[in-house]
Amino acid sequence: MKILFFTGKGGVGKSTMAAAAAWQLSQKSRVLIISLDPAHNLGDIFGVDLKDKKSCYTNTLYLKEIDLQKLSKEYLQREINVLSSTYKYLQTLNLDNYFSVLKYSPGIEEYALLTSIERTINNETDFDYIIFDTPPTGLTLRFLALPRITITWIDRLVQIRQKVLEKRYTIHRIRGTLSSEETLLDYKEEDDDILKTLWKLSDNYQALTKILQGENCSVILVFNPDILSLKESQRLIEGLNNLNLPLRLLIDNKVTEENIEMVDHVEGNMRKMVKDVPVNRVYFSKALLDCKDGKLYDIQEDITSNLL
Amino acid sequence: MNFSVFGFFRRFFSRFHDLNRENVVALTIVEEQELENIFTLLLLGSFVGLPSPPTFLAVELLPFMEREIKILNRRAEDAGDMLAEMCGTIGID
Repeated sequence: MKILFFTGKGGVGKSTMAAAAAWQLSQKSRVLIISLDPAHNLGDIFGVDLKDKKSCYTNTLYLKEIDLQKLSKEYLQREINVLSSTYKYLQTLNLDNYFSVLKYSPGIEEYALLTSIERTINNETDFDYIIFDTPPTGLTLRFLALPRITITWIDRLVQIRQKVLEKRYTIHRIRGTLSSEETLLDYKEEDDDILKTLWKLSDNYQALTKILQGENCSVILVFNPDILSLKESQRLIEGLNNLNLPLRLLIDNKVTEENIEMVDHVEGNMRKMVKDVPVNRVYFSKALLDCKDGKLYDIQEDITSNLL
Repeated sequence: MNFSVFGFFRRFFSRFHDLNRENVVALTIVEEQELENIFTLLLLGSFVGLPSPPTFLAVELLPFMEREIKILNRRAEDAGDMLAEMCGTIGID
């Protein structure tokens, strides 16, 4: 199974290119395309109404739009349930519902996104390709960086926690039979809930990082021949390099005869940053502009030859 | 009642022994609680304006942190009189 991420500045045609690639790949293999962008237009490109459910477009092509708000809510609900069961006694006073305020926590969206990617990769194993159409640069880099940042934090926290347990063990050994608060505390690593949770999270993230940096994952960068798009793409390439994510294809979208000079300039600059990544040009198509029946994914150029 | 001199001394010395063990362990307890305090502070530091780890990490561990949060609270209360705290720790009355 191969995983493709289409990234780029807002409005360069990421979704269209992702849809085109999905359509072209689906002629020979089974493809699932998922839009992670909060402002979805995957459904519009294929001319269908998608409602957070995987829907079948052809026998080999499935579409899905992720509802970020719903995901965040689901995730927090799970956490609130754990809290509520720990503090069950509050139910007698009818105070347990106050935990629901947690659903307004910031920073949950990126995590929810990442969880949904992880779940998709683990569950949808019968597809040959999973294509992710990502949100604009900022959010994409943030959620792609999340596993690494989290692993660093978890490592530090695990170290401190192990020290705590070591001390508890010492106290337990010296005090022995004396009953006190400290001697009753867990001192074995396998009994400590906090350490167990940290380890579980660390394993998850390490597995995810391995998949994202692996052979079967590709990041495709879509850009337009203009200066703004070039600058943002350069930042994105730097970000991807820092995260060790594999950039495998550049797509220069909306190329016309009039702006061919700019096309060469922008591509030249990109080439300086990434030497051995192929560039595909996609010409600006007037047919797409006039297209009223919504077959926006059907482009002339073959953009999948470098992705097989 | 059966009074045995031997039993009396045994109890006497075992109490003595316990006291010694208490003295030895007191500093380790302070150290252990301080470590737990640091752990909580790192995880929930956004309360006092420290840069915090990804929010969900705190959310994920929050259900198991009752004791740690209590310690954090107690430390915050004691922080007003650090000199007394230190004297207490090293045993100056």
